Amino acid sequence: MNSKELINYMKSTFGEPMVEVVDLKKYFPVKGVFRTIGYVRAVDGVSFIVPKGKTLGLVGESGCGKTTTGRLILRLIEPTSGHVYFDGKDIFKLKGKKLLEFRRKAQMVFQDPYMSLDPRMTVFDIIMEPIRAHKIKVEDPQKFVVNLLYEVGLNETHLYRYPHEFSGGQRQRIAVARVLALEPEFIVLDEPTSALDVSVQAQILNMLKDLQAKRGLTYLFISHDLGVVRYMSDYIAVMYLGKIVEMGPAEEVFEKPLHPYTKMLFASMPVPDPFEAKKKPKVEVIGEPPSPINPPPGCRFHPRCQYAMDICRKKEPPLVMAEKGHFVACWLYAKK
Amino acid sequence: MRCKDPIIVVKDLYVNFYTYAGVVKAINGVSFEICRGETYCLVGETGCGKSVTSRALTRLIKSPGRIEKGEIYFYPEPGKKIDIMKLSDEEIRKIRGYDIAYIFQDPSASLDPLYTIGYHVAETMAFHGVVQSIKEGIKKAAQVLRLAKMPDPESRVRAFPHELSGGMKQRAVIGMSLANRPKLLIADEPTTALDVTIQAQIMNFLKELKEKENLTLLLITHNMGLVAEMCDTVAVMYAGEIVEEAPVEELFKNPLHPYTRGLMRAVPKHVGKNVTLESIPGTVPNLIFPPPGCRFHPRCPYRFDPCDKKRPPLIEIEKNHKVACWLYAKEGGKR
Amino acid sequence: MATKEAEEVYEKKVLDRVSDAFVDALANLFDKIRPGWKVRNQARVDEWKLMFYAFNRSPIGIAGAVLVAIFIIIAIIGPWIAPFSYGTSLALCNQTAYLAHPGTVVKIPKGCEALGVKPGTYRLILGGDSFGRDLFSRILYGARTSFVVMILVLLVGPWIGVALGLISGYYGGAVDETIMRITDMFLVFPGLILAIAFSAVLPSRISIFLKDHPWVGSFFLHLFALHPTERGALASLVSVIIALWIVWWPGYARLVRGMVLSEKENTYVEAARALGVSTTSILFRHILPNILGPILVYLSLDSGGVILTEAGLSFLGVGAVPPIADWGRIIYDGSQYFPSAWWLVFFPGLAILLTVLGFNLLGDTLRDILDPRTRRSIEFRLKKKPKTKEEGEEK
Repeated sequence: MNSKELINYMKSTFGEPMVEVVDLKKYFPVKGVFRTIGYVRAVDGVSFIVPKGKTLGLVGESGCGKTTTGRLILRLIEPTSGHVYFDGKDIFKLKGKKLLEFRRKAQMVFQDPYMSLDPRMTVFDIIMEPIRAHKIKVEDPQKFVVNLLYEVGLNETHLYRYPHEFSGGQRQRIAVARVLALEPEFIVLDEPTSALDVSVQAQILNMLKDLQAKRGLTYLFISHDLGVVRYMSDYIAVMYLGKIVEMGPAEEVFEKPLHPYTKMLFASMPVPDPFEAKKKPKVEVIGEPPSPINPPPGCRFHPRCQYAMDICRKKEPPLVMAEKGHFVACWLYAKK
Repeated sequence: MRCKDPIIVVKDLYVNFYTYAGVVKAINGVSFEICRGETYCLVGETGCGKSVTSRALTRLIKSPGRIEKGEIYFYPEPGKKIDIMKLSDEEIRKIRGYDIAYIFQDPSASLDPLYTIGYHVAETMAFHGVVQSIKEGIKKAAQVLRLAKMPDPESRVRAFPHELSGGMKQRAVIGMSLANRPKLLIADEPTTALDVTIQAQIMNFLKELKEKENLTLLLITHNMGLVAEMCDTVAVMYAGEIVEEAPVEELFKNPLHPYTRGLMRAVPKHVGKNVTLESIPGTVPNLIFPPPGCRFHPRCPYRFDPCDKKRPPLIEIEKNHKVACWLYAKEGGKR
Repeated sequence: MATKEAEEVYEKKVLDRVSDAFVDALANLFDKIRPGWKVRNQARVDEWKLMFYAFNRSPIGIAGAVLVAIFIIIAIIGPWIAPFSYGTSLALCNQTAYLAHPGTVVKIPKGCEALGVKPGTYRLILGGDSFGRDLFSRILYGARTSFVVMILVLLVGPWIGVALGLISGYYGGAVDETIMRITDMFLVFPGLILAIAFSAVLPSRISIFLKDHPWVGSFFLHLFALHPTERGALASLVSVIIALWIVWWPGYARLVRGMVLSEKENTYVEAARALGVSTTSILFRHILPNILGPILVYLSLDSGGVILTEAGLSFLGVGAVPPIADWGRIIYDGSQYFPSAWWLVFFPGLAILLTVLGFNLLGDTLRDILDPRTRRSIEFRLKKKPKTKEEGEEK
């Protein structure tokens, strides 16, 4: 199955796409003293779609390329090769006004609310910044900002304060308000709650869900926390070393994971319930993720896989549809 | 007394931090005991004082922090009692790293980039006189690293910290802390900086180790999942106080304190059905001006008369299940 | 919030009230210029007050500030309070003031008005030099020379470096390489030698320029408080300033580039990019304000450096031409009579020492105060004392 067919399959089962990612690659050069001595294959040929009005959860461990994928989709960095279509338009070909238009529609909320807000700006300035950057006319800026603050659960007393006066959860609310100011259609949420405490995390997650329902937003939700991803996502994609190894509707993937890596990941994640924890299938975790500079040949997971076969060491498994709407890249399920 | 044979007993511990903005009352009257051989968990959110408590156990509180009052007794062997608060700095250093060892969240912070892993292990052993010299220690280091399940320990002895992955560094640090066969291992968020698959490896290894070495483990974490999978007894901390303490299954089956309940309902699970998460409104209080009475009352949906006036005592409701909440205390009426 | 805490924590000293009043006045001024400023920036005002509290509790910083203030005041009013002009030779009034000891009393008879000296009795506090000029007056005038050179150098030189550093750090790649290699070229030459070379080459062109634009010359004459007769000597003074611009930027380019490199890694820069904010906005609204603190500290430390370099240049015979009063030049002239006429070297040397020391002390304290991490420790250290004893005693 080539990537075009794959995308078409996905469209037919997941619905109309907001974002289409085709064969996206990003290699970061590793610089030696005199020359480039290798490449970190952060994202190495991924294809998927984000269906309109839905949430796609992108899961994986650190260094698997999920954040790089998110940044590529917003063109915060340029790809090595591949395409991203937003509303049918290739975003890497956009220029000038069209690019600014895209920047308005597609937004990002970052992981660390302590770093993503300029410490020298007041909340008012922070939220007005995108409005000023896009030269959008707002009749009463103060009222406009206060309305946004209400929408994210803050109020007008917070208007002229600095980020350091807020807790992590409140800062993340400010970051969301800033993004909402531009009335985007698509938001990349890059681990928006991983720096927060659980009780606050639940507040933010529920707020994001409410906003999605109210404004019809499309989310790409990047996280390493499986519980959070399951709570938020309609569809999930699991990444390992720059590749998508499994993708499908969230419930189905969580209930019936197919790829050995997904199984290992799910089994490693501790369950916050001692009774469920005992029932959880035991999967032995072998080894550590190899370096993305020199990924293993064939299937990248084979050195850690208990089902590794001969073919796994030689040929890379393609992403195929194992069941309706459930895609997996593993020789156990692919035709050799 | 919960334990017949406790390894450490803490009574009425108070720790303050004198910061530029005011006095942070970080630990406000914490009492607990850890039984020999069990895994005891301190769970809570950022700033609840779980780390500070664990450090106070060997008086590892740096300026501007200060232990205001409290009693800490350490029993290296049954019946042998050491009053930690009365020891000199020299004596406490001999216990720290020998009888009581620490593992911290960030393994790279515990490793000096200029020295090899073997040197680090040898240094802790030599300091406590387990080996006579660093040279001898380096020879024994491979053995220690093997105990920490470090793959290929012989060559890792000569490796520098930056040559290892995060998981391996944490193993090296665990190796260092195990070098002197401690009685009590205090693991402060040992896997927070690591990936889940590596976390699973290290947690499984800690479990095995505990059984093999007859170790007592004090696990500090914010992760309810780890609590459920690792612990025997759990103490939930909030704003510098222990609000509930119970055996793990009892706690998850029957959480009593409103904060514990809220916490349990706020954690999304990746197995089983997910219901809408309930969040605890508000944020963690500023401990320079902590709320009077029960420190949780401003966020509590069940608060009533005495909550904002008097601090609820930690009382035993059922066997080994203690809770500090007026809903269950006599003065507040029954419920 | 910050004020509330501050009031609760600090027992205010007199200095704190003064600084509070100053900050409030400044805030009111801004509020008048842009209505609503005060409401929107209350947090910033509180932060400033807190910085002053920290400063007020640093004896070293206050000492530095006092030294610097004395220097600036002397530089501004010095030419007016000086008993004699910088070039007046008292010998011409039949007074033997050649190498007069400090404290020598001279009587100026009538008939000396032509030299700009009023008749009367004067005490030469710091003595006289080999031309019979009053050393005290010359040192007062010399302060003006140093001050003007310092201000003019720092107004331009470092900012060339800041601009190049911003561009170089933010864009990276070939732009960065080019700018940094040029910077390296300037850095490998000792600054003083480079400055000497430039101040030797520049004056001829500058004098042509000054001839064509007399008003520029008049402006500088007033600035340096010189007699119109010294018009010809201006070229070499101005050339020193330009030479110092040329040697003063590379350090800043390096410094700023480094800070930009670390600052642009902050997520808020990427966040701004994701929001569609333009590059210029990111550079000037986000990055520059966040690195301004260290730049200010460097400027303050460098003020002393400029004064020292300028004095060094005139000591070497570049820049200030006789009879212009300049600390470096005074020392050079006096060094021939050392040690018998020790005061000719000692007093201007002391003036340089105290001024440079003042700027360094001030800069060091500013560094501690502008860096949020160390500021907290200062505030913490100084807060504890009044809490236990002094409070009780005063009440």
